[in-house]
Amino acid sequence: MSHDSHHAPVADKMELAPERSDLGLFRPDRTRGLFDWLTTVDHKKLGIMYGAFAMLFFLVGGVEALAIRTQLARPDNDFVTARMYNQLFTMHGTTMIFLGVMPLSAAFFNFLVPLQIGARDVAFPRLNAFSLWTFVAGAMVLNGSWLFEFAHLAGWFDNFAWHKALVYTDFAPANGWFSYAPLSGTFGQANAALQAPRFTGVGTDFWIIGIQILGIASLAASFNFICTIVNMRAKGMTMMRLPVFTWMTLVTSILIILAFPAITVALIELMFDRQFGANFFNPSAGGQPVLWQHLFWIFGHPEVYILVLPAMGIVSEILPTFTGKALFGYPIIVFSGAVIGFLGFAVWSHHMFTTGLGPIPTAAFSLLTMAIAVPTGVKIFNWLGTIWGGRIRFTPPMVLALGFIWMFMCGGFSGVMHSAAPADAQQQDSYFVIAHFHYVLLGGVLLGLMAGLYFWFPKIFGRMPNAGIAYLATGMVILGFNLAFGPMHYLGLAGQPRRTHTYHAGNGWETWNYVATIGAFILGLGVFLAFVNLVYTAFKGVKCASDPWNGRTLEWSLPSPVPEYNFARSPIIATRDVFFEHKHGVHRLAYENDGGEAGVHMPSQSWFPLLAGFGFLIIGFGMPMMAMGVPHAGWVVIAGLGVMFMGIWLWALEGPGGYMLKTPSDPHGAAAQAKAESSAY
Amino acid sequence: MSEAVAHDPDFLAEEVRRYHHFITLALWLAAITGAEIVLIFLPVPMPVILTALSLMSAIKFFAVILWFMHLIYDHKLLFWIFMCGMVLAFATYAAVLALFSVDRIDTKWFS
Amino acid sequence: MSQAADATHAHAPTSTGIDHKKLIMWLFLASDCMFFGTLISTHLLYRKLYPTGFTDAEGHQQFIQKLFNIELTSFSTFILLMSSFLMALAVSAMHKGQLKSFRRNVLGVIFFGLIFLGCQVYEFTHFYHQGLTIQNSVLGSTFYVLTGTHGTHVAIGILWLVLLYFYSFTGKLTGHMAGLDVEIAGLYWHFVDIVWIVIFTVVYLVEYLGPSGFWGTGLPLAK
Repeated sequence: MSHDSHHAPVADKMELAPERSDLGLFRPDRTRGLFDWLTTVDHKKLGIMYGAFAMLFFLVGGVEALAIRTQLARPDNDFVTARMYNQLFTMHGTTMIFLGVMPLSAAFFNFLVPLQIGARDVAFPRLNAFSLWTFVAGAMVLNGSWLFEFAHLAGWFDNFAWHKALVYTDFAPANGWFSYAPLSGTFGQANAALQAPRFTGVGTDFWIIGIQILGIASLAASFNFICTIVNMRAKGMTMMRLPVFTWMTLVTSILIILAFPAITVALIELMFDRQFGANFFNPSAGGQPVLWQHLFWIFGHPEVYILVLPAMGIVSEILPTFTGKALFGYPIIVFSGAVIGFLGFAVWSHHMFTTGLGPIPTAAFSLLTMAIAVPTGVKIFNWLGTIWGGRIRFTPPMVLALGFIWMFMCGGFSGVMHSAAPADAQQQDSYFVIAHFHYVLLGGVLLGLMAGLYFWFPKIFGRMPNAGIAYLATGMVILGFNLAFGPMHYLGLAGQPRRTHTYHAGNGWETWNYVATIGAFILGLGVFLAFVNLVYTAFKGVKCASDPWNGRTLEWSLPSPVPEYNFARSPIIATRDVFFEHKHGVHRLAYENDGGEAGVHMPSQSWFPLLAGFGFLIIGFGMPMMAMGVPHAGWVVIAGLGVMFMGIWLWALEGPGGYMLKTPSDPHGAAAQAKAESSAY
Repeated sequence: MSEAVAHDPDFLAEEVRRYHHFITLALWLAAITGAEIVLIFLPVPMPVILTALSLMSAIKFFAVILWFMHLIYDHKLLFWIFMCGMVLAFATYAAVLALFSVDRIDTKWFS
Repeated sequence: MSQAADATHAHAPTSTGIDHKKLIMWLFLASDCMFFGTLISTHLLYRKLYPTGFTDAEGHQQFIQKLFNIELTSFSTFILLMSSFLMALAVSAMHKGQLKSFRRNVLGVIFFGLIFLGCQVYEFTHFYHQGLTIQNSVLGSTFYVLTGTHGTHVAIGILWLVLLYFYSFTGKLTGHMAGLDVEIAGLYWHFVDIVWIVIFTVVYLVEYLGPSGFWGTGLPLAK
């Protein structure tokens, strides 16, 4: 049978004989170094790459934020122009959400989910690689716009005729991360070349195609994870024995596959307006710009739950570990997560209270938004119940997780204040909103993700980050973030509007803006310090045991770093937190009789997910080129589509391949070793 | 493995039964579509037509997913996965449609 | 345990008993429901707001009923339904290992799919000549993008089936995996069909209700 690979099991993949795929090309299984990383389908390596890119883009978004804060530190400042300011806050939001938080969450999904469910990889390893490379393509497209903008500012394009024809020539997106129509759309009549007048330049087109590509990456990954979690659990791993982090991954993935189609269509409609003279949002022809708001927020609201649920999952893993107690109310925490996800689809118009929906819709959305506070509150009480009566160890992950609970709650309070529509009418578009979402995103999501980084770094790299630096960075982050965003509650209620590049003296906003800028720099320094520390640790950190925290879930039963095949023997799960029970309780972690000399099946590596992702890169630059009016740019897009199609077609034709890898022959070695190596905690 | 499955008499008998189901179903789908087209031209009150049309479309819809797409023979999880997507889409967009109302300004200036 | 050693990634037993590819295709279809829901509701929304239709190049208000050719659209709907039927037969044939029957049926699906697309192209050209363009009205935008996106889905399906058809000659389309792969293609094709069932009803049929369509003013159409 062509699908199977009947090689003798090998101890290391470098021992494999060169094998040709169904296409007749050599499979890249025996590569090392750069080619290995480019063709890998190993969920652990993909997770590390997601994490590395995420950290890079967090810093990029951070620089954008610091530029914003520098501009706002003093009234009537001219550190940046108004246009650059608009580009900065747009790119800051877009980068942080799509290139910072989502990939960092994806890094954790990738690395942890197969380990936590007792599997050896995800359901579709090559699709997983495709998600990563498509994400990289989208990230490059989005940030490529900055390169064009800087070139324009430097005067490189001044001699090109098509450049002069471009409206306002702004190359980086500047409409906010939500890019509302009609600003982002068209007005008036389309001319013979099917182009209607546009308010904004090519930056919007970069944004449209960049987000579209990133959406495809997220969708592909989510389909994969749902399939993996539902279908690849180890024996005995029932759904109610899953770690909460895996549950939150499942709910997040379901949110992604149901919410992203709305933005996909919205972006298609906007693109058709801009490129082909359609009238979806064109007021001159009867288009309704508020439709964009509806479609965007039908995606956008579930998106914020997509951002926060993984961090909540991380906190739900960390708290039990460092209090020595099982998670309080596991079923209700899982159920609350699912309810938050479900209700997240019902509240989108709370972003639109000031658009004149009418009293009944406004009341309905207001009530539903308040309702979401309930399952969120339930989670918080359950976390408190977990901590209560435990023996707390204030390790860096624990400090960050506790910080999450407190800071996220603050963000939740300001959120519930928004849910009252009359109050929201005053808060809308003011700094109060900025305070709210930064408390939930920074105080919540960032602290949760940082907690996850410190928690799982020892597992990923087998090295422990320096605790002293970790505490210092944590302190700086929490102090800086509160200093930066706390005052914004006041500033918002005192009337400072969002998205304005400067303000005049005499409104009483000067002092707190200055304080906020100082806080932002402290925050930036703290994050930078944490990331530098983590990167250093990955290469040169102190080596540590495989279970340094006395963990509860399956990944801690494995050596650090985790071997390619994950589990030497597939585990058999007798109860929830079976590894912890194995160490300290009655139940034992048992293993199946697979692996060993007979080997386990490993998926083959492949070039084609990378090729398909590269196709998206070409499309991503081709489309804005079309918008710029570059001659024959349409062919670039078609070429990109062709490359993408070739990548997928060859991927289908090469066959799954695979090889057999021997695993160590002592069946209980992994758990016994881990138990012996448990640290003095 | 495939040969064993293909020649398994129970499996074959089941496939033959399904084959006949498909033919019957195809004829019914064609008939219902024809009925729909005739119905819209009949002088029947609007609510009756709308109900009948919705019912017939729903019957065709579920017939295809349950039999042509095998959902009735498959694991129930697949049915509920699809229902989630469909119900969510239906509910969300029913809400969106309700949120837009005709405005005298709109119809004055635009067709 | 040679069975464990033999098992390829896709053959390994799954927690639910559902094959990975089948599960992921149903997840995709659930997602695609939201996708088409968005497009259809955009169209319906604008029909609700602007019930009369569109303004053509000469400035006359045109009702959408006069534009539509219900005979042609009914014909193409029948064709798509029959293609769905042939697809079910193709899947059945593959499960029984009957390669020749599979090829005949798949060719039928491709042929009918191409007829459907041909009808769509004819319809688009016909509407264009009657004055409905993407650029000149909201109706044109929503209608062409909605039915065009559906048509693109059909085209992708046809391409998939053509590739499957040629692949069946390589001798590699055998066994359990072959039945599964064809079934997956079948699921996609049937989904495209049921989306059309919805579009046919809410975009075409309802425009014929009453004197001036479901969204209309209730007054008879102008000549």
